[in-house]
Amino acid sequence: MIQIKNVSKWYGNFQVLTDCSTGVAKGEVVVVCGPSGSGKSTLIKCVNALEPIQQGDIIVNGIKVNDPATDLPKLRSKVGMVFQHFELFPHMTIVENLTIAQMKVLNRGKDEARDKGMKLLERVGLKAHAQKFPGQLSGGQQQRVAIARALSMDPICMLFDEPTSALDPEMINEVLDVMVELAREGMTMMVVTHEMGFARKVANRVIFMDHGTIVEDAQKDEFFGTPRSERAQQFLSKILHH
Amino acid sequence: MLSELDFSIIPASIPFLWAGFLFSLKITVTAMVGGIILGTLLAMARLSGGPWLAAAATAYINTMRSIPLLMVIMGFFIIIPTLIGHPIGSENSALITFTVFQAAYYGEIMRAGIQSVSTGQVNASFALGMTYWQAMGHIILPQAVRNMLPLLLTQTIVLFQDTSLVYAIGAKDLFRVATNIANTEHAPVEMYLFVALIYFVICFSLSLLVKRMQKRIAIVR
Repeated sequence: MIQIKNVSKWYGNFQVLTDCSTGVAKGEVVVVCGPSGSGKSTLIKCVNALEPIQQGDIIVNGIKVNDPATDLPKLRSKVGMVFQHFELFPHMTIVENLTIAQMKVLNRGKDEARDKGMKLLERVGLKAHAQKFPGQLSGGQQQRVAIARALSMDPICMLFDEPTSALDPEMINEVLDVMVELAREGMTMMVVTHEMGFARKVANRVIFMDHGTIVEDAQKDEFFGTPRSERAQQFLSKILHH
Repeated sequence: MLSELDFSIIPASIPFLWAGFLFSLKITVTAMVGGIILGTLLAMARLSGGPWLAAAATAYINTMRSIPLLMVIMGFFIIIPTLIGHPIGSENSALITFTVFQAAYYGEIMRAGIQSVSTGQVNASFALGMTYWQAMGHIILPQAVRNMLPLLLTQTIVLFQDTSLVYAIGAKDLFRVATNIANTEHAPVEMYLFVALIYFVICFSLSLLVKRMQKRIAIVR
């Protein structure tokens, strides 16, 4: 579904990604972790070309993302993305947040888009808030709306960029529950997160990044059992024991 | 001195002043709507139009903002007819001049407005499959206008006051009509006092409105 081949990226002279190669198969859940500044968020933003790459190839659903001829809006409409800071549209109601792209990008009718939006709101337990504005919801609720918004486009895979990092601790689980449910339904997911509980529960593979390189790319049990690299062992011991 | 003033010419002048006021208003509304649309395009060119378009937009804005408005009004009045080969009249000339001149100022306000919307919002729009124009039209510009509303209105107040400068090319705005009556009726003090009062009431109440808006926006944030 997602293939990342020898990807390198620079900001000016500063190299943020160095020769990264990995992939996400259909139905697979891959968790990407690593210390801050390791390039994991940058890598996931390259997958739907929100960030350009200078070397290598990224192929999503058979389409080369970094090919200038690629119809990026069309490709992105099939790839759901959830951001650290939710990024709901503050000038629209919750239900409008869920219908705008369906109507403008997929050309769905107003009623169809609304029905779909309401169904997804119900699924994330926020149907009662449909007419409110994003600013009136808690962080956890906003992130659940953001997931519903991404799902409203019927994506073939989902990208999560630190979806719980900006949340108060008591709100993290309500978001993770939605993500776990999605994973169990067979959604293809690439998730940048520090939530190792989530990784243990649903991930197939775990990728560990440091200084812009993929240090470890292993099956979940292998990763949590005996990480091969010392750097990953240190990282795990830091975030698992406090 | 004040007791010698004779305001009896005012009532009879009202229909003429009203016509002049309507033209001042016409310039203001035309230049506001046209200026904001053109200015938004200039802002978009500066921010995302590529190096050549951005340089052209920047040059346009800097030029317009560096020349006194009165000179631009006179200049356009002379240049446009020679360019298109026939006169267009002082009123049309005034409408065009104010629109393209104000576009430079509205453009800078809109540029700040677009920059006030976070890149996260842009990324979210793109991630949903929106094109550049869809993201601008539905997500970025509505928020930019909302954030900049007080500044846009303040600029419009300045614009309304500046419309009086069209007296230079003989277009019949409020100030020009008042001047004409003042001269023929030999009552300049009475006339100018009355017209000043009109400008004051309109501009002052608009600026009160801006203040109230700023408070409301501050609360929402």
